[in-house]
Amino acid sequence: MWGDSRLRIVYRNTLYFTTVAVFFNITVGLLLAVLVNRKMPAAVAYVYRLAYFFPVLVALVFSAIIWQILYSKDTGIINYYLNFLGMRDIAWLGGKATAMPAIIVMDVWKNTGFAMIIILAGLQGISGVYYEAAKVDGASGVQTFRHITLPLLTPSIFFLVIIFGIGALQVFDSIVVLTAGGPGDATRSAVMYIYENAFQLFRLGYACAVAMTMFVVISSVTLLQFRFGRRWVNY
Amino acid sequence: MAEIAQAATVVRTKRSKLSRARIVDWAFIILAGLGAALFAIPLIFMFSSSLRPLGEAYKLPPAWFPTQFQYENYLTVLTHRVPFFDFALNSTKITFWVTLGRLVTGSMAAFAFARLRFPGRNVLFILLLASLMVPIQVTIIPIFLMMSKFKLVDNHLSLILPGLTSAFGVFLLRQFFMTMPEELFDAARIDGAGPWRLYWNIAIPQAGPALAALTIITFNQSWNDYFTPLIFINTWENMTLPLGISALKGRLESGNPSVVMAAVALAILPVLILFLAAQRYFIEGVTMSGIKG
Repeated sequence: MWGDSRLRIVYRNTLYFTTVAVFFNITVGLLLAVLVNRKMPAAVAYVYRLAYFFPVLVALVFSAIIWQILYSKDTGIINYYLNFLGMRDIAWLGGKATAMPAIIVMDVWKNTGFAMIIILAGLQGISGVYYEAAKVDGASGVQTFRHITLPLLTPSIFFLVIIFGIGALQVFDSIVVLTAGGPGDATRSAVMYIYENAFQLFRLGYACAVAMTMFVVISSVTLLQFRFGRRWVNY
Repeated sequence: MAEIAQAATVVRTKRSKLSRARIVDWAFIILAGLGAALFAIPLIFMFSSSLRPLGEAYKLPPAWFPTQFQYENYLTVLTHRVPFFDFALNSTKITFWVTLGRLVTGSMAAFAFARLRFPGRNVLFILLLASLMVPIQVTIIPIFLMMSKFKLVDNHLSLILPGLTSAFGVFLLRQFFMTMPEELFDAARIDGAGPWRLYWNIAIPQAGPALAALTIITFNQSWNDYFTPLIFINTWENMTLPLGISALKGRLESGNPSVVMAAVALAILPVLILFLAAQRYFIEGVTMSGIKG
C-alpha cells in the first residue's frame, strides 16, 4: 500500500476537494444567511430560503445528472451564456484543471443551503442586547459584524466544519456521475478507489486496508479540529 | 457584503436617514433575489427541459418557458420502456421499512439510555457515539461479505436489515428524552407503571417533534442513497430510483436528455412534497441534529 502511487493521488484529490468545498460551503452559507436575515417581507424571505435550501434535499446523484447537462461542452447552457461574454467553449468536466472546480461548484450549490440554515439559527440566537451596546459605543457595521456577530457564530461554524469535513472526505456520488474519476485520475476520490478495488477488481483485502486508512484520516482530522477548535471557538 | 450594508445604514445626517436605510434594504432584497434565482436555475432548467419535445432538446438558448406543454417525456418514463415504476416501488418499500425500523429501534434504545438505569449504560452509550465516527466505507465490505454469506446480495433485505438501526437516531432521540421532566416518570412509577408503560404512554406521546424530525431525515437519507444500492443491487428489477436512473442515463440520453430530466423530476417530487408539508419539522430536525440530508 505504501508504494501505491495512485493512493497518493486519490488522497491528494480528496483533500483538495475537502478543503476547498468546506471553505466555500461555509463562506457562501454565511453570506446567504446574513442576506436572508435582513429586514424583508416574510413571504420574500420564505421564497429565498426555499430556493437556497431546496438543493440540499435533492439526491446528490440527481444534482450531478442535472449539472452534467449544464456543464456539457457543446450543448450545455453554461458555455452558451459564457460565449456571450466572449469566452470560447470550455470542456468543464473533461479538462484536468477544470474538472475538480466544476465538481466543487456543484457541491456548493447542493450543500451550502445547509450551512445557511445552521448559521441562520445561530444568528437568531444572538441577543439584541449586544447590538444595542455596540450601537451605544458607536461601533460601525463592519466592527459590529467582526467583533460581535462573527465570534458569536463560531460554535455554529465549528459544527459545520466538522460535519462538512467528515462528509466531504467521503465524496463519492457526485464524482461517479460527473467524471467517473477522470480525466485520468484527476478527480478520483479515496472512496471511489476503495469501491473500485473492492467491487470491480475484487481486491477486498486491499480495499479494506485503504478503508482503514480512511478511518484513521477522518478521525484524526476530526480530533485535530476539536483540538485547534479551542483556540478560535467561543462557547 | 453585510459589513457594507450595515456601514451604509449608519447614516450621518438625520434628514436622509429613513430613505437611505430603505434604499439599502431594497438593494439587499434584490441582491438576495438574484442569488436565489441563480440557485433555482438548475432546477428550473430541469423542469423546463423535461417538457421539451425531442426536436428542441439540444436547442440553444434553451426555451426557459416551454412553448407547449409537452408531457410526452413523462409518458416515456412511465411506460414500460423504462422500469421507472419498479424503481419507485423499490425505493418506497426500502425507505418505508428503514424509516419504520429506525423509529422503533431508535426510540426504544434512546428511552433505555435516557430513562432506565442499568449496569454498563454509560459504556454502551460511549460505544454508540464512537460508532457514529466510523464512515460507512469502512463497514461496507464486512457487511457485503456477511450478506453474501446469507445469500442476500441483490435482495432488498441487504439494504433494509443493516438500515434498521442507526446510532444517530438513538442519539437524537435520547437527547430529546433527556429534556422531559423526571417528575412525569416518577408520578407514573408511583402509580405502578412498568418500563413499557413509561415508554409507550409517557415518553412516546411527547416525542412528536423529535420523531417527526427523525422520520424526515431518515426518509431523505434512504430515498437518496446511492452508495449502498450500488454495492448490493445488480439487476434492473431490484434497483432503487437514484441507482436506476443513473444506470439508465446512458441508455436514455442517446435518445433524449429531456427524458432523463423528466425521470429526475419525478424522483424529486416526493421529497419536494414532503418538504413543503413538513417544513417546520425539517428545519427543526436539521438544526437540532445537524445531519446532512
